[in-house]
Amino acid sequence: MSGATFLGYGRPDGSVGVRNHVAVVSVMDNCNPVTRKVAEAVAGTIPVTTLFVRGQLGRDLDITLDTLAGLARNPNVAAVLLIGLEAAMTEALAKRIRPSGKTVASVVIQQVGGTINAIAEGTRAAARLVREASRQRRADFPLSKLVIGVECGGSDTTSGLASNPAIGVVADRVAAAGGSVIISETSEFFGAEHLFAERARSPKVKAQFLEAVQGFEREIMAHGIDLRGSNPTPDNILGGLTTIEEKALGAMAKAGKSPLVGVLAYGEAPREAGLNFMATPAPAVESLTALAAGGCQICLFSTGVGNPIGSVVSTTIKVSGNRNTVDFFADNVDFDVTGVLERGEPLAEVGGRLGDYMLSVASGELTTSEVLDVRETCISRFLPSM
Amino acid sequence: MPRAIVLDPGDTVATLIDPARTGEAATLAGARSGTVTLSADVPFGHKIALADIPAGADILKYGQVIGRATAAIPAGAHVHVHNVEALRARGDVSGRAA
Repeated sequence: MSGATFLGYGRPDGSVGVRNHVAVVSVMDNCNPVTRKVAEAVAGTIPVTTLFVRGQLGRDLDITLDTLAGLARNPNVAAVLLIGLEAAMTEALAKRIRPSGKTVASVVIQQVGGTINAIAEGTRAAARLVREASRQRRADFPLSKLVIGVECGGSDTTSGLASNPAIGVVADRVAAAGGSVIISETSEFFGAEHLFAERARSPKVKAQFLEAVQGFEREIMAHGIDLRGSNPTPDNILGGLTTIEEKALGAMAKAGKSPLVGVLAYGEAPREAGLNFMATPAPAVESLTALAAGGCQICLFSTGVGNPIGSVVSTTIKVSGNRNTVDFFADNVDFDVTGVLERGEPLAEVGGRLGDYMLSVASGELTTSEVLDVRETCISRFLPSM
Repeated sequence: MPRAIVLDPGDTVATLIDPARTGEAATLAGARSGTVTLSADVPFGHKIALADIPAGADILKYGQVIGRATAAIPAGAHVHVHNVEALRARGDVSGRAA
């Protein structure tokens, strides 16, 4: 993979997509039915939905709009069709997407006279955008154009021993080539943060990272919550993971050994290339949504006992080192790293093959969550609706 | 013979990479060699004690503390949620330091 390139789609802002989707984006929850119908009607589109916006305020509204805009600005998206209820919030979202330089069209349900007209106009607009987008050709780009998310779900003890360290090898190569890597899931650093913090490039980054993790733990403690009710999950425990500390020490391996250069808020794009940490909740769909909003074209997703889900926007690669899962859950596994535990294959070799596979996916090879459409969007909430 | 991986020489547990039954000897690999005889049936991916662990002792894996023994755990026993508790994010235990 050293010195390797991939075939991607150049975007006006200099970023590079590994897919050429037209995103049909709901401006708020009540637009989702139209968004889904339009996306079903037009091949080459993806639906980007949200369960909120209406009634959200302040920081909570900003995070939701910024995340929706980030999903639309993701380099995997060639053009955007917004489905809004009314004009003001539709424009508020469009304004956050336009700096990407890509086409942003919109259909406002109240202005076109209801559901049937909105579906008809949206379908025509999406069809036009997909035909325009399809004129673009893939070209060669260096690894430095990649932003990859590293994620785990349905973890077990093989995750920490095989799939996460194999992903870490790829993460180090992307970071060394000048690309970016984002690791997330704040609570999955409890018990490992002291080790990860030592990799911070500056005292400031170290302090930001520790505050993100330990501040979140203080919040849990202040609520009197026992994290054991939620994490490790029942399937993690069946897979042999006993405590959050054990899970965290294995999860951290996904980030390889590169220095930590930045700490990002939910859905925020890296300000600097290299390894970044993003503060997100641990559940995979919320975390993947934030990683995609932060610009990840690809997420490397390690699974132990089996978690099928992928991101709608960021192409998701499922990696497993558990033989039972690779055999029994095969429909949802993209890359098999069982050789690490079964045959003692060196992680550098297995990670090298995973990196080559990732570049093939970046160049157009489809993954299980894409072909089976096992994809979901969920933007985290930080305050109640009013 | 079932295999079990030890990640750090100071660890008090090993992770089975094959399922194992009571009375079987697991072959250690990684940071330790030798065998440990199981005192319980233990599934693939679960942990076993490398030596007797007293109640209240730290459990070490990756050379790090992953929790605390809630009961005495004899060598070769299954080490899991029935005899180990997490120490972090335990808002149910007020005032206890992490």
